[in-house]
Order: sequence, then C-alpha cells, then structure tokens
Amino acid sequence: MASSRRRLTPYLLLFPGVFWLVLFFVVPMYYMARLSLDSGTIEKGFEFTWQWSNYSDALTLYKDPFIRAFEYAGAATIIALLIGYPLAYAIAFKGGKWKNAMLVAVIAPFFTTYLIRTYAWQTILSDQSPVTKVLDAIGLAPGGHVLATAGAVIAGITYNFLPFMVLPIYASLERVDPRLIEAAKDLYASSRSAFVKVTLPLSAPGVVAGTLLTFIPASGDYVNAFFLGGTNNKMIGNTIQGLFLTTRDYPAAAALSFVLMAVIMIIVFIYIRFAGSEALMGEEAAPI
Amino acid sequence: MLNPRVKTDGTGGRAPRARGLKMVALAALALAASLAIAACGGGGIEGSNSEKGKVQTVKVSGKPSGQLTISNWPLYIDKNTVPEFEKATGISVKYIEDVNDNAEFFAKMQPFLAKGESGGRSIFVVTDWMAKKMYDLGYLQNLDKAAIPNVEKNLIPTLRNRPIDPKDQYAVPWQSGMTGLIVREDLAPQIKSICDLFNPKYKGKVDMLTEMRDTVPLVMKCQGVNLAHATEQDWLNAIDKLKSAADSGQIRRFTGNDYARDLTSGDVDAVIGWSGDAIQLQQDNPNIQFVMPKEGCMLWSDNMVIPVGAPNPTAAEAWMNYVYDPKNQAQITDYNYYFSPVKGVQPLLKKTDPTAAKSKLIFPTKQFTAKCDAAPPLSGAEETKVTAAFNAVING
Repeated sequence: MASSRRRLTPYLLLFPGVFWLVLFFVVPMYYMARLSLDSGTIEKGFEFTWQWSNYSDALTLYKDPFIRAFEYAGAATIIALLIGYPLAYAIAFKGGKWKNAMLVAVIAPFFTTYLIRTYAWQTILSDQSPVTKVLDAIGLAPGGHVLATAGAVIAGITYNFLPFMVLPIYASLERVDPRLIEAAKDLYASSRSAFVKVTLPLSAPGVVAGTLLTFIPASGDYVNAFFLGGTNNKMIGNTIQGLFLTTRDYPAAAALSFVLMAVIMIIVFIYIRFAGSEALMGEEAAPI
Repeated sequence: MLNPRVKTDGTGGRAPRARGLKMVALAALALAASLAIAACGGGGIEGSNSEKGKVQTVKVSGKPSGQLTISNWPLYIDKNTVPEFEKATGISVKYIEDVNDNAEFFAKMQPFLAKGESGGRSIFVVTDWMAKKMYDLGYLQNLDKAAIPNVEKNLIPTLRNRPIDPKDQYAVPWQSGMTGLIVREDLAPQIKSICDLFNPKYKGKVDMLTEMRDTVPLVMKCQGVNLAHATEQDWLNAIDKLKSAADSGQIRRFTGNDYARDLTSGDVDAVIGWSGDAIQLQQDNPNIQFVMPKEGCMLWSDNMVIPVGAPNPTAAEAWMNYVYDPKNQAQITDYNYYFSPVKGVQPLLKKTDPTAAKSKLIFPTKQFTAKCDAAPPLSGAEETKVTAAFNAVING
C-alpha cells in the first residue's frame, strides 16, 4: 500500500504541470497545425484540406519580414552581449557593496510593462524631440529621424531584452571562484589571459543561456517593430499579428507561426551543437 | 587539473527506459483527455455559410421598449444623445464602440452572422462596401420603412438610391465624410496632392490608411486613373506603387485613426485621413489642416444596418428614426464634425455653433467636392485578388 503510493507520487507531482502543458500548449498546437492546412476565407469559412501551399505562399509573400526578424534579433543579441557581459562582470567582481543595488537597477525596468516602456521610447525618439535633434546634429540620424528605422527597432529590442542577457551571465560569473583567477595569476597568467582562459570559459554557460533567452523571444517580437519601426522594418511577428487580427487569414498566419518556430528550433539546435555543448558540458573549449 | 565546472545542464540522471515509456503513456492519456475536452467546444472558427437568396424584412411591432444594443465606431456620438433617447422612449441602450476597422469587425461578427445570429446587437454601423458585402451574404435585413418616417422625410437627396442600396432598403447613413490629406501646415505647407506624398522630400514622413478602399483609389487618382472605369489592373498598379513606397521607407506607417498621434507629435508631415478627424485635431493644434487633394477626395458613408437575428428590431428602428430628427442630429454632428445625412441640420447649427455651420468640411459645397468619388466597386474575384495584394503590402 505504502509502496504503491510512493510509486505514484512522482506521477501525481507531474500531473498538474503535464496537464497544464498539454491543455495550453499541445492542444493549441494541434489546432494551429490543423488551421495552417485549411483553405478558404473568413467569409466562406475555413475547411481542412491539407492545403500545403499555405506554407509556400506565405513564405514567398512574407520572405522579407522573415529574414528581417532574424537579422534584427541577431544584431540585438550581439549588441546585448557586448553591453551585457561587461555590465555583468562589473556587477559580479567590482560591485562591492553596490552589488545588490546594481542588480535592482538592472531588473527595475521590469516593474513597468514592456509595452509602456517601448511606447515611452517612441516619445523619446520622436522626430521633434531634443534627443533626435542631437543625434541628427552628430550625424547619427540619417534623414532627420530615428524612429521608423532599423536602428530604432534593434535598439529597442536590445534595451528590452538586456536584463535577460545580464542576469544569466551574472549568475555564472558570480559562481566563479576568485581563487581560480588568483591561481592563474600565480602561474604567471596576465590579467588578459586569466580572463580569456579562466573567467570567460567558466561564464560560458551564462553566455549561452543569455543569448538564447534574448534571441528566441526577440525573433518573434513585434512590439518594438510596431512602435519604433516603419513600413520597411516589419518583423515576422508583425506580419503574423496582422494576418491574425486584421486580415484574418488564419491559415497563412498559422503556417508562418509554424515556420518561425521550426526555424528558431533549428537555429538554436545548431547553436547549442557548436557553441553550447562545449560551453555547457565540456572543458575542451579552452585547451590550455 | 582543476575542473570546477558548474552543472547547469540539468542532466542530473536518467530514468530507466521502462519508466520513460510509462511517462509517455501518461502524457498521451492526458493529451487524449484534453482533446476530448477541447472537442466539446465545437468546430472552432470554421463556420458554415448562411442561406443566400431571400432577404428577411424587419418585423416592427407595437410600441418600442426593452433593450437595444448598438455597435458603432469610437468617438462618433456626443454624451447626451443616448441618455436623451432613453428618456424619450423608455428603451435602455447598450452603446458599444467596438468597430475600429470594417474588415476586423466583420471577422469578429461573421461566426455569429453565419449562424443567423447578431451577437446580441440590433444595429451595426459599417462603411458602404461592408454594408453591401454583408447584405449580399444574406447577413442583413430589409427595413420596415413605415417605422422610420424621419429617414424617409429627412435623408438628403445625394444619399438616396446609392449604388450600394439602389432602393434604400437596408442601409441608413449614420454620417458621411471625406478621405483626403491631413497636413501639418507648419512642417510641409507644399503638400497639396496625393502624388506629393510620394515625393522623396517627405520620405518617412507620411502615413497612409490600412483601409484599402480609402488609400488605393486615392493612389489611383494620383496615377491618373478615372475611378469610374477602374480595372483590376489599375488597383494592382496602385498597390505596386504603394509597395515600393513602403519598401523604400517613403511611407512611415499604415494606420487607422492612430495617425492622430503621429500628426500631433510631428513625426509625420502629412497623412491620408478622414475629414472629421482633421477638424477635431485642429482644435488642439491649428497647424493641422484638412487639405483637399488636387486629385480630389474619396466620399463615403457609414451606415446603420440591422443584422439577421437582431433582437428588438422595433427599438432599432425607433433609434434610426430618432437620430434622423434634425434637432437630435445637429447635436451628433456638432460633436463628430462629419457630414450629416439629415436635412435641416445646418440652420440649427447656425444658432448653436456658427463656425461649424460655416465649415465646408462639414457642409461641403458641390464645387469643393467636384473631383471626389465613392470607392469603385470590386467584384468577388477581383476583391479577393486585390485584397490579398494590399494585405501583403500592409503586413509585409
């Protein structure tokens, strides 16, 4: 009796999570997959007809925003990494008594919703704002405007996702034993080579987690492109949103969502294969 | 060697194979259960077509009473009309401002309409082409004209026997208006035509409407197309022009009423926009002006229609009759500043709001709108093709 209960315990513990995921992930996915193969229009109703051409049609029509989404997300991820790593490093090693305050500062923007923050940027960067005038004067605003450019969208994504980059990197840097760096220096490593050979490899899991946490949501993002972009800065998220909510071409929208998911999974898989596996599992990444 | 690697990958241990299989079985069971639950929800959004052909006529009976639900566009009515109507008739009104875009509203209502229901609403207010589309699909009822004598008496002649409703059977204009240019005169005083919007000088400083039947015909006019004889190819050519302007960043955004923000902040110099909005925006910023494009403007009406399955049609017709009393209508026009479809409003406004009564944007002269047109009709097959091309531009 007692032993059978013990055997059931893990299943009972799993049940809420599994049920939740099945109900709110697997079931919608099933309907989306089905929908992506429907034919018809909103007026005449949709019918399930294995319409595979939805995929090729949608991709031909919306190739540009698709490619753009990955370019913008990629650029934002790289910039976030370049900004985020030094920031996380400074907080972890040089923060001292300010460490907690600095962490709060990184997280603070989360207390306001994402939408409002992006909307605020729209105001800050608006064409008549002093910020734009200054940027224009130093030649950083070609055409006299910052809004409705690729730069504004990438900057917005970088800003919004920066904490997702900083926090995991901080977490892994925080766990680096300072004695290891001391040991490296004792063995006549310069500061630079101690960093490259000890600190950097040890923080690699954080870098991998940070880049994934930034890149994946960024490639599906549509808020930044909506508020900060122009007609030629639309990302695939904007296209899917428009197709679902305005055009009501549900099959095309569902097809694009699936392709987006597939491409993200492939990119992430390749990334983890090449960068991630070494950083996450092996020590061979930094042969001495 | 020192290898103090932090384990973050979560490969803490592996379940024996048999247990893994059991988990899969459990997951499959849960999936099946939730599919069964979901299946009870019915066929999702896949709707069936309603019967076409015979159009019902509204059945008006007895004294209007009870409840009335109206769907209209935002900022289209003053605060007093609804309560005053309620007081005068004893009908309680639920006035919902949930029409923001014809296509979007249609998509929202279509699942109900296909089943012969109206989503609890007795009146929709939709633009000409959408009214006709709904009527052709059998989603609307003909009106009982005996119950709306004010409409019969006061509807202005130019809005009678329109192509969308030749016998005035189902659509009663709510307000009409012009689509033209709204310009920041302080920033770009030289913008006088739709063609000017494509001038590289204004690159990234121009918004156009997501409403296809406003934007595309105006671009056709810029291309010199006579809208009375517009062909499918003309539509597609105009859409091509829009596409290259969108790709090059000439057009900043495709918007609905939210172009107001861009104009106010000065992010754009000019937009394709609606006349009533121009007057409302001008009150806050006198630099914002409606400009009649050199090519002419688009003329449109938003119409009150009664959908199939509408509850309490008697009250719905009482409402139509009420707003067609010039006194009540003047109050609405003085709020939204669009053209009134009701005779006798101008003399009343002269007393209460002389500026509005004089405005040629609210009471346009024949001369002022000489070059304006209604959106040219599209046949079913044309519409599908043209709409798909336009949607690709605004979504791409």
